[in-house]
Amino acid sequence: MKRNFLILFGLVVLIYLVIMVFPFFWIFITSFKTSGEIFGDGAFRVIPQSPTLKNYTIILFEKGILNAIKNSFIVATTTTLYVVAVATLTAYAISRFNFRGKNLLLGLILAVSMFPQMVVVGPIYTLFLKLGLLNSYWIVLPYSTITLPVAVWILVTHFNQIPLALEESAKIDGATPLQTLYKIVFPLAAPGVFTTAIIVFIAAWNEFLLTITMNANERFHTVPVAISFLRTQFEILWGEVAAATTIVTIPTLIIVLFFQKQIVSGLTTGGVKE
Amino acid sequence: MKRMGFKEFLFILPALLLIGIFSLWPVLQSFVYTFFDYRLNDQQKAGLYINERFNTDLFQETALYIGMFLDEDKKNITDSADLEKVNQTIKRLDQLAKAYKGKEKVISISAEEKKEMTTLYEETASLVSSLVKKYPLIHKEDLPALTEDLKNSIIPSNFIGLNGYAKVLSDERVRIALWNTFFFTVVSVFIELLLGLGLALILNKAMVGQGFIRTTSLIPWAIPTAVAALMWSYMYDGTSGIMANLFQWIGLVPDSRDLLLTGGGAMFSTIFADVWKTTPYMALLLLAGLQNISGTLYEAASIDGAGRFQSFFRITLPLLKPSILVALLFRTLDAFRVFDLIYVLTGGGPGGSTETLSVYGYKVMFAQSNFGYGSVVVMLMFVCVALIAIFYVKLLGANLMEKN
Repeated sequence: MKRNFLILFGLVVLIYLVIMVFPFFWIFITSFKTSGEIFGDGAFRVIPQSPTLKNYTIILFEKGILNAIKNSFIVATTTTLYVVAVATLTAYAISRFNFRGKNLLLGLILAVSMFPQMVVVGPIYTLFLKLGLLNSYWIVLPYSTITLPVAVWILVTHFNQIPLALEESAKIDGATPLQTLYKIVFPLAAPGVFTTAIIVFIAAWNEFLLTITMNANERFHTVPVAISFLRTQFEILWGEVAAATTIVTIPTLIIVLFFQKQIVSGLTTGGVKE
Repeated sequence: MKRMGFKEFLFILPALLLIGIFSLWPVLQSFVYTFFDYRLNDQQKAGLYINERFNTDLFQETALYIGMFLDEDKKNITDSADLEKVNQTIKRLDQLAKAYKGKEKVISISAEEKKEMTTLYEETASLVSSLVKKYPLIHKEDLPALTEDLKNSIIPSNFIGLNGYAKVLSDERVRIALWNTFFFTVVSVFIELLLGLGLALILNKAMVGQGFIRTTSLIPWAIPTAVAALMWSYMYDGTSGIMANLFQWIGLVPDSRDLLLTGGGAMFSTIFADVWKTTPYMALLLLAGLQNISGTLYEAASIDGAGRFQSFFRITLPLLKPSILVALLFRTLDAFRVFDLIYVLTGGGPGGSTETLSVYGYKVMFAQSNFGYGSVVVMLMFVCVALIAIFYVKLLGANLMEKN
């Protein structure tokens, strides 16, 4: 009985893993196929008959995926830097100070994280149109709508876990407020801030709606938008899509591999009360 | 806890500014848009005009051309009374054009000015139409068309009040989109909850390779939805897509081409892709809840003779309830707002069978440039989201806010 259960258990886990990984595996294989093999008889062959790197060379040197990756890096990094800075200040204030309207502020932040993004896109588009900011990196500012609430929420939970007593005893020992901040708060808060940064970065990296509406110009397309445009009028260029997907999944893969623990803890503290 | 002073207020100021400008203001503005027939691709409706306005640029240009054309046609007009009228009209047009010289683009005008403009238009129009009937004019086709532009340069108010809302209530496409959105949300979140709960229970067991399983689970969550959607649309392809043929092979669909080309198949495909992408996320949220349930409870239960199922239904589920509700809240709202996945995978097709409210709203706003009606659709979505949130928060009680 116990043995059978274990075998069944293992089987379920195995099937689950196969389902999770299979799409990536298949895309990876497809990226080496010629277009002749993607359609027709060769479509279901696991090992390509005549493997080719042509999809990669096209995507890298002709379709400008490198430019999209550059844009994504600029946009996601900038968003991460300023959103984490702003969120840290706010979360610290919420966690440490008592002020009127604190619950209102928290409720507001929670509500903003629930807004359908589509509500804010129209007015921000007209605003950017009037200010002449369409097709620019200024798009990082409205990115805060999606990332700021999550960041504040995760950070508040982290700050709440740092005992206030440590700061107080530092003060009693004669530390200036600045010293307290540098020597006590920062080192203790660093892991939480770092976790938040990873999650904000991934959210900004994956953003689609704002970029596709505000930055219609190809020069400013980020990776998700650029890949969604890999089609001609009549067909989707599967080989190139597969190659592009393989290339852009690699950074995400690395981040997830290295920071799996932080991401999981960040996601769960952000969403669930203990 | 310290009292809040000015210095503390500075801590939250940047966040307040960002939220104010990029979240609250747009929502209010969207609400304002809903009362106007606001279309960016229509010169007369490209702004929010509560009062009448006047397009001076258009008027100057029109007045100039009408004057020129009438002048050229004078030689065809034989009756001296008509000729006198023509001269007068040219003069009046010229005077008005001079009066507005130096003013640019769209300006607001008084009721008197509007009346003057309207009578000028009416008189010119009747004159032109009688002239066209009586004489063989050179510009007999251009003149009436140009006269219409005189009227167009008076911009009527495009304030429509609640008409947008009336329209949305009787809009068949909105009804279908609303139904699609609800169907997609309920079905995919329900499946995700079941699978996610199962996965969380598995992950909660101490076992070899736990880190590996967690990492693998995170990858679908971490890659952009648009990219995942494109990946799936390749695998769903009727002729050469592996998933489509696999589904046909195991008998899930009668024909592999049904998957993206029929309404039901397309809905199934989007739900399947969504479940694939977000079940792991659901599982992680639930896992955190599971890990907070103390093991001693299970020990005590097993001493009391409770079986595996009994302890699941009597201990795990009740204690997990808050976590489940929070996870459901976030997942339901996410599914209700779904955009990238459907926009890239099916584009709302075939025949609108997978079009959700956000996809429809996007199409109205950015494909038809109709920001007014698009905002009404989006507001409808906003109201639904608010109702869902209120529903869950009621179920959750004060749990959500308590943590601070």
